[in-house]
Amino acid sequence: MSTETTLEKDEEKMPLHASAEESSDDREQDAEPSERKSSRRDASEDAGSTEKIILDRPSSAKMIWTVAKREIASYLQSPITYIVISVSLVVLGLWFFLYKGGFWQIDRASTTRLVESVPYGLMFLIPLFTMRALSDEKRVGTIELLITMPVKDSEVILGKYLGSFVMIVIGLALVCLYPIAMFTRAPFWHLGELDWNPFWVGMLGLCFFSAAGTAVGLMWSSFTESQILSFFATLITLAVLYFIGQVSIVELLRGWPGDAVSFLSMQTRFDPFARGIIDSRAIIYFLSLTVLCLMVAFRALESRKWT
Amino acid sequence: MSTDVMIYANGLTKRYGSFRALDDVSFEVRRGEIVGFLGPNGAGKSTTMRILTCFIAPTSGVAKVRGHDVFDDTLAVRSSLGYLPQRAPLYLEMTVFEYLRFASQMRNLDGDSFKKRARNVVEICGLAQSLSKEIRQLSHGYRQRVGLAQALIHDPPILILDEPTSDLDPNEKAEFLNYLKQIGRDRTVLLSTHNLKEVESACARAIIVSRGRVVADGALDEIRAKSGRVHYVVAVQESPGSAPYRGKGAAPKGSEVEQALTSLRGAKKVVEHPTDERAHVFDVAGEEGVDLRPEIFRLVADKGWVLLELHRDTQTLEDVFRQLTIGDERRNRRIGPVSAEGNEDEDEDDEDEEDE
Repeated sequence: MSTETTLEKDEEKMPLHASAEESSDDREQDAEPSERKSSRRDASEDAGSTEKIILDRPSSAKMIWTVAKREIASYLQSPITYIVISVSLVVLGLWFFLYKGGFWQIDRASTTRLVESVPYGLMFLIPLFTMRALSDEKRVGTIELLITMPVKDSEVILGKYLGSFVMIVIGLALVCLYPIAMFTRAPFWHLGELDWNPFWVGMLGLCFFSAAGTAVGLMWSSFTESQILSFFATLITLAVLYFIGQVSIVELLRGWPGDAVSFLSMQTRFDPFARGIIDSRAIIYFLSLTVLCLMVAFRALESRKWT
Repeated sequence: MSTDVMIYANGLTKRYGSFRALDDVSFEVRRGEIVGFLGPNGAGKSTTMRILTCFIAPTSGVAKVRGHDVFDDTLAVRSSLGYLPQRAPLYLEMTVFEYLRFASQMRNLDGDSFKKRARNVVEICGLAQSLSKEIRQLSHGYRQRVGLAQALIHDPPILILDEPTSDLDPNEKAEFLNYLKQIGRDRTVLLSTHNLKEVESACARAIIVSRGRVVADGALDEIRAKSGRVHYVVAVQESPGSAPYRGKGAAPKGSEVEQALTSLRGAKKVVEHPTDERAHVFDVAGEEGVDLRPEIFRLVADKGWVLLELHRDTQTLEDVFRQLTIGDERRNRRIGPVSAEGNEDEDEDDEDEEDE
């Protein structure tokens, strides 16, 4: 559909640059020569008529998927990916089971503690999976080849975003292995029945959290050619957004600054999910943050044209 | 239905801050032309190509590919191009085959046509042995071939190649240029290079840019003639050796010959070339259109000297290139804190200088 609109648009523009082959009506309109000061020749003669190009382009969704697929494949080919994911799972497990008595201390069949601690892990994991998305392409120059293919900038951004997001969701999916192993596959542990619903709600919340976090990471990645810079900027942004929601900070600020800060914080938004409540305001918050960051990343990618 | 002008650029200017990377570049390329885009490093070749491939936007000016504006209608432009950027930046972790398949998917080739095209392209680029290798493992020459293969995979009507031969060895270069000539019959190729031999063997036309400006644009012969100078090489025997001078003739002194040659009408400049003791070799610069050879022969015959060599040296492309691009040092590309009008004046001055 978009193909046709572009072509139509061209035909409207054509009279300005119509060639000798155009009908005589068109040629009369040509009487107004090009106004550009630099044009030394008669533009109407040289520009050539607009050749109809049938845009042979896959649908946007397919294009985005092609970009994302390449991205995911390149992550899956790298051993570092496996190391990063397994190390984070081990650390998460140690934390969950052992830190300050861990899971056993609560004496209840509850995964709240698990869900609550995942965002800290994601703060490191997300930048690791977004830092190279655009930074590396810019540094190596592959972005030039990618972008000169008939792909829209927005499709590049969305494809990259999807690629990183899928990797993080894979990581999250692996977190589900803990409760599955504990409560369904190891009955000899006699941990009791887990109420699964709060857990799934918590995972949903983590998905939204990751969606927003990945967008933040992609945005930083679109700003800089340096992966390290992109990593730390994302890490710091996520950490700040998360920790300003700490009760102590909100209380310290009191009144409206405290409210504003807790409104912006990812932690206050994420808390209901961790407790098993689906909060539509939080969903809107995470989605808006995602859209905002992706738009900024899109503009940043586009800015290569001007600078 | 279709016109001949495939690539059209008019008044392209690109500024990076106060730096003028391109300054009013205009040219066009027609169907079936292979055009060499020449210039020293930093002359604006890559910038121009990036504009034509919609990677960056010009500060001012129009560029069209097949009549489609590179700014307003980028998808149409990009889908008719095959582009090889400088140094062939590729995804190193992919294998050659994966990369080509990725490129073909981006170009919307289905499985069958991909196989067909890939077979063709792999043969042309000599990649059959490396298909399953990771690009990371390939040498620069091979990476460049993959870059080429990627640009050819969708059989584009227009090819824009930024220094496609820079990392190839001489045999590969020759092969590649041959292939270019073949496909260039019904396609349009714009290739940038600083290797003039390549241009001479593959292109009929060249555009020379220097410091962001087009300094020459035309058929190679026209460009060669552009400098309007002809050189004659004259060698006169110095020592009698085994073939002594007959009659009153005696071996001339170098200065004597030089004086005689300088006195010829139409000879502009006479320079002696260093040689061994047996001959005086001079380079005589003459005007275009006047053939000095008869004069020189008569002079030598009258004097009774022995003429070992006399030939006219037509200007090589290399000479023209050097002449066009080196003498340009004076031009100021920076736009100081002058008003807009001041800049225009400056521009005009520059043009006057070039006309001289």
